[in-house]
Amino acid sequence: MTLVEFPAIAKAAIACWGAGSLLQIPARKSKPASLVSWLLMIGGTSLLVWFLVAYWITLERPPLRTLGETRLWYATLIPVVGFLVEYRWKIGWLKYYCMGLAAFFLGINIASPDVFQKALMPALQSPWFIPHVVVYLVAYVLLAASSVAGWHNVWLKFRDKSSAVSESMSHYLALLGFVLLTFGLVFGALWAKEAWGHYWTWDPKETWAFISWLAYLGYLHLVARKTKGTVLQWYLGLAFLVLLVCWFGVNYLPSAQNSVHTYSGAS
Amino acid sequence: MQSSKQTQKVDSASEGFREAALFTITAIIAGFAVEWLTAGSGITIPRWPVNFLFLAVLAVSVAIVGLTLRKHPLVAWLGGIPVGLSLIVGLALLSFIGGVLPQDPAHPGTLVATLRLNGMFSSWPFAFVTLLFLFNLGLSFLWKVVPFRVANLQFMLFHGGFWIALSCGLLGSSDLQRLIIPLNEGQESSIAYEMPSERPIQLPYSIYLKDFQIDEYVPQFALYDPATDQVLEEKSKMVPEVRKGARAVWPGVATATVLEFMPDALPDKDGNPVPSKAHKGVPFARVRAEADGQPPVERWISGGGPEIKPQFLPVGSYFIVIAPGAPKAFRSHVMISGTDSERRVAVLEVNKPVDFRGWKLYQMGYDEKAGRWSTMSLVEAVNDPWLPAVYLGFFMIMAGNLLYFWKGVKKMEAA
Repeated sequence: MTLVEFPAIAKAAIACWGAGSLLQIPARKSKPASLVSWLLMIGGTSLLVWFLVAYWITLERPPLRTLGETRLWYATLIPVVGFLVEYRWKIGWLKYYCMGLAAFFLGINIASPDVFQKALMPALQSPWFIPHVVVYLVAYVLLAASSVAGWHNVWLKFRDKSSAVSESMSHYLALLGFVLLTFGLVFGALWAKEAWGHYWTWDPKETWAFISWLAYLGYLHLVARKTKGTVLQWYLGLAFLVLLVCWFGVNYLPSAQNSVHTYSGAS
Repeated sequence: MQSSKQTQKVDSASEGFREAALFTITAIIAGFAVEWLTAGSGITIPRWPVNFLFLAVLAVSVAIVGLTLRKHPLVAWLGGIPVGLSLIVGLALLSFIGGVLPQDPAHPGTLVATLRLNGMFSSWPFAFVTLLFLFNLGLSFLWKVVPFRVANLQFMLFHGGFWIALSCGLLGSSDLQRLIIPLNEGQESSIAYEMPSERPIQLPYSIYLKDFQIDEYVPQFALYDPATDQVLEEKSKMVPEVRKGARAVWPGVATATVLEFMPDALPDKDGNPVPSKAHKGVPFARVRAEADGQPPVERWISGGGPEIKPQFLPVGSYFIVIAPGAPKAFRSHVMISGTDSERRVAVLEVNKPVDFRGWKLYQMGYDEKAGRWSTMSLVEAVNDPWLPAVYLGFFMIMAGNLLYFWKGVKKMEAA
């Protein structure tokens, strides 16, 4: 499986999510419609899982090296969070945002395709590579979902329809995201010691990872201080912007000239 | 009734935040003032044992203040969440400056240099905020340790681990030695260089480089357009690998097939490749290519090397070229000798450092101009006596994190 097949698979996944979402309307009253709807939505994500596995085999390395590859993982995983939230909290709206975000990221990958490249620079050939990146990706996925939920909760509040369950859901997504963010940060430090000689060098990506971590640490302290819900939802909504800078934005900052994390070129 | 409850909640939440924010802003301004007055000289952390003594004084101060003045409103406030949160925001803001502006030397006299915005993580504002944060974190940690309750274990591990990792990582940075040892094949060296000053330093051991090797990925072939100085994208969007039988199609332009492939070969006097020992030759491929509407052409091509000219295959107005594979792994076979009779044979490779008497030796680089023919290897020697303490902090954070996850899941289930 190569990038030639990618646009077709990505479009098929988006079509599955779209059709599944539309079928949610009759699904309220019809069980068969609900079943088909869920089969389509889960089918869309399964297509991407299948592509990821096949792409991994063809690449002969984990597809976790380029920003495009991380977007692919992200698009695969974030709808799963939406589905699990519906299963756990019976909150249906999050999955639409999640599928929307996933479609957006697939769209970026279709518009600016990666170059298919098997080479993995020696520093990335480490047992830490997969745990570090996967833990971070899942953290980003959970925190993106918490941010979307935060914005939705702000909107609900604006319409005087606040929901305690929905606020609790955004909190637990953020909490799980923070736990994984912390693991990702420490795994990265331990790996850096083995690969580059020191666990922390204030490389711009490290600095931004630290800022993101502090942002969510701040959130948890606001929660501990029993800050009112609306402030917390606004905070969660905005905090993800810091993560976005850490994920994509760092490459465009003046500080990134000498970063080892810019993901450009083969080395 | 509900509204009065809500007001109470907001009041208790915002209580102490204004003072805490002022406190943090004052620390930051004071730090920048010191930088201004010293023309951005920054802070130089003292080396062992002064840094250790400083850490001990800090820890003892936290313990004395925390245990004897716990009920004092000022101390309670100093170890409370509002101050902690304000300092977290302060650290994030200073890190933001350090994360946006290049942390490289700047022209003296500029605002960036005078305020040390180009060296944020060794600046006075960063040092002041970190010190106050350590005080706050230390107090909050202490108050969960005394009196001891197992229920507070997660808090203790996370906060205690963060305190240890942050304090030992920053204070221990002055004892960190990162030295570069250039090695040449067949030679021994005990001289390392401190960067960026390039000051030579005599090591307590020497390293003999027996052999330096580079493994490369399979070379690739591409259709090069001299008019645009670019390679054309192949049908599969891949850069095709050179393997016997490999076929590439550039739609509407040309097709090519690899008829034979020699990964290591040297040209004879007629230019025809003869297989050589591994790592001694260059890759050669016999390629047949056909430009649309033209008869097929066929010849040996190679990516060349230091003494071997590269060879291309002209196809219409394009050329088929071989691009060497990217480095897959590089390693130095070395013998390390201590000042006594201890000798150790080792292989240094990226991601696989070797420990020798408290030093970690890393495969760092090589002569990139010579590429796979490099006979020079760059080794980095790192000595970080504070590493065990920092790692203790890391593992405490991870243990606390696991407990936090566990508690979070339990609460989530109960919610």
